[in-house]
Amino acid sequence: MSVWDDLVGQGPVVAQLSAAAQMSGAGGRPAHAWLFTGPPGAGRVTAARAFAAALQCLETPRGCGHCASCHQVLQGTHADVEVVRPQGLSYGVKEARGLVLRASSAPTGSRWHIVLFEEADRATEGAANALLKSIEEPPARTIWLLCTPSPEDLLVTIRSRCRPAMLQTPPADAIADMLVLREGVDPETAAVAARAAQGHIDRARRLATDPQVRRTRDEVMGLPRRLTGVSPAVMAAETLVKAAEAEQKARTSELDEAETSALRKALGESEKGRMPRGTAGALKELEERQKSRAKRIMRDSLDRTLLDLASYYRDVLALQLGAGGELVNVDLAPELRTAAGAGRPEETLRRLDAIMKCRERIAANVHPQLAFEELNLALRTG
Amino acid sequence: MKFRIDRDALADAVAWTARTLPVRPPVPVLAGMHIEASDRLKLSAFDYEVSAQVSTDIDVEEPGTALVSGRLLAEISRSLPPHPVEVTTDGAKVMLRCGSAKFTLLTMPVEDYPTLPEMPPAAGAVGSDEFAAAVAQVAIAAGKDDTIPMLTGVRVEIEGETVTLASTDRYRLAVRELHWKPERPDFSAVALVPAKTLADTAKSLTAGAEVSIALGGAGGTGEGMIGFEGGGRRTTSRLLDGDFVKYRSLLPSEYAGLAEIQTAPFIEAVKRVSLVAERNTPVRLSFSQGEVVLEAGTGDEAQAVEALEATLEGEDIDIAFNPAFLLDGLSAIGSDVARLSFTTATKPAVLTGKPPQDGENPHYRYLIMPVRLSG
Repeated sequence: MSVWDDLVGQGPVVAQLSAAAQMSGAGGRPAHAWLFTGPPGAGRVTAARAFAAALQCLETPRGCGHCASCHQVLQGTHADVEVVRPQGLSYGVKEARGLVLRASSAPTGSRWHIVLFEEADRATEGAANALLKSIEEPPARTIWLLCTPSPEDLLVTIRSRCRPAMLQTPPADAIADMLVLREGVDPETAAVAARAAQGHIDRARRLATDPQVRRTRDEVMGLPRRLTGVSPAVMAAETLVKAAEAEQKARTSELDEAETSALRKALGESEKGRMPRGTAGALKELEERQKSRAKRIMRDSLDRTLLDLASYYRDVLALQLGAGGELVNVDLAPELRTAAGAGRPEETLRRLDAIMKCRERIAANVHPQLAFEELNLALRTG
Repeated sequence: MKFRIDRDALADAVAWTARTLPVRPPVPVLAGMHIEASDRLKLSAFDYEVSAQVSTDIDVEEPGTALVSGRLLAEISRSLPPHPVEVTTDGAKVMLRCGSAKFTLLTMPVEDYPTLPEMPPAAGAVGSDEFAAAVAQVAIAAGKDDTIPMLTGVRVEIEGETVTLASTDRYRLAVRELHWKPERPDFSAVALVPAKTLADTAKSLTAGAEVSIALGGAGGTGEGMIGFEGGGRRTTSRLLDGDFVKYRSLLPSEYAGLAEIQTAPFIEAVKRVSLVAERNTPVRLSFSQGEVVLEAGTGDEAQAVEALEATLEGEDIDIAFNPAFLLDGLSAIGSDVARLSFTTATKPAVLTGKPPQDGENPHYRYLIMPVRLSG
């Protein structure tokens, strides 16, 4: 077992990070700032966390995954690994200043003081500028690990100060293998889920293990063939938003319950569910954080729905142009072929554009129902 | 894990450790208290900034570790009946038996609990009561808001056998010097310790006769940490970064005037007169030979005047202070007679206790900025 086990199909990055960790173990100083980039779901945060664990590991070779230090880093409780996870839609300058202050202190017991900034792209420009000085020239034993989808998501001034660690889209075969080995999914379901998830590991895991998620996706993928006129198109918009909502509810309630019960237990909930005095504040704060996260998950799940839809038209386009290559939705192959035969590539491209435009609108906070209605009108065949 | 412990020893140890439990734990396990039973019982709490660990004697039957909710354990141990306590683990639960009372506590994964920072190397020792008094005198002047983090700290300067504590919030400055026993006679170091942590720690370590102070050097173990240990209790804290104000140059070297007033009546009078002082308005002190007149309030509002006996060397002077800051200083000097030295009505004044012998330097100085009087 090692800390790198959770990364799927990231050979070169693992080699790079592992080498840096061994070098640090031998008394060297790894680069002071690292930028983890890669498509959503490829495991940026997993890679950054594994790297943090390897840097703090007490065993040789570094990154054993079972020493006390590795365990604490992977559980997110290590005293010298601060994980910054923006809970809202953005990370402001005031929070950034506080972070810079904390980042400036020496580690309490381990070699490095590591700041792991998940979704650094959510930092506002002001916040990014506040962080710049510290990232550029951190104190002797502080290391920054930033995660963003692509290097372009950060200010060029910050990007140029970081050593890049570029994760690739994990190949579908590697994901399918992982699902079979780790989750005990049968190879066939694993292959379909891995392909449908388009490199998103967590998504593949949920598709493979949760029948409800699979049903929701089937519903979304069944949509294009029903868009035969104005009326079905408008009706279908509601189905889509509902599907996204259902997914969001399932995910948030799962996350919230686990968190809330862990915190209640830690604060000293009695067997009858009574809380000691002075703990209401902490619970309320958690509730606020969860609310703000729910908003984000909703937006993410709308985006996910749109990407699924886009994969349908991507396949259609690939068939129409005879591009070859693997289909994303192997399970829908016959239907895709019919759709490809019925239309022209120009129309498919127009539809893909409409989907991308809808994604932009959702990101700009347009009411989902309205955005999806407009989208479906553009997608309809009638 | 199985051990027996005296009820009061447990209640004391738990209550002391529980002070460090974070109110808003960033991760749930930090709300836990770490229990380690080997030849002694070790209780620890940690909030990433400050760690606290106490060790006491127990009668151990089976060593082990557990992590339970710190608050709940504190509430329980506070209200236990006066009988010996027996603590055992049973699977994922900790059972606590005391007389006929029995409690079952849920545990949290002990391996998730962060490793406590190591204690930096010991630097020296100081009398615990004197240290607590000195820290209390200085910590009152530290800043409360963290717009300038450096001001929320107490500067600790160690030079051979002298320790100097200083803190300021820009309106007043408190400086205290005390003697201690360094490990090495030529030891010198500076550190900036969060004032609240330092005050709480110093107050809670008076159980033992001495407090040993541990400071990490650059690059070595415990860099950026300070540790305190006394009476089986040890605390570590992260230090604040940044350079402290060059405060020595702020303390005036010569004075134009010097007044002495009985401290207790002075405090009473300031309290009375400041009743009419609205927020952020000053109390005015008019010194003349043999007397000081305290005044607060302005023409359109309620006013108060009171005269007190005082001795004055130098010219008559009118000077005004924020009453809260003045009271803080007066209650910290720890002397029956307060001595106020000033140059002019717009320059900082220094409040000290009257030294037992003339010409001796006071250990404690409280510099206070006057409020400018309009017109």
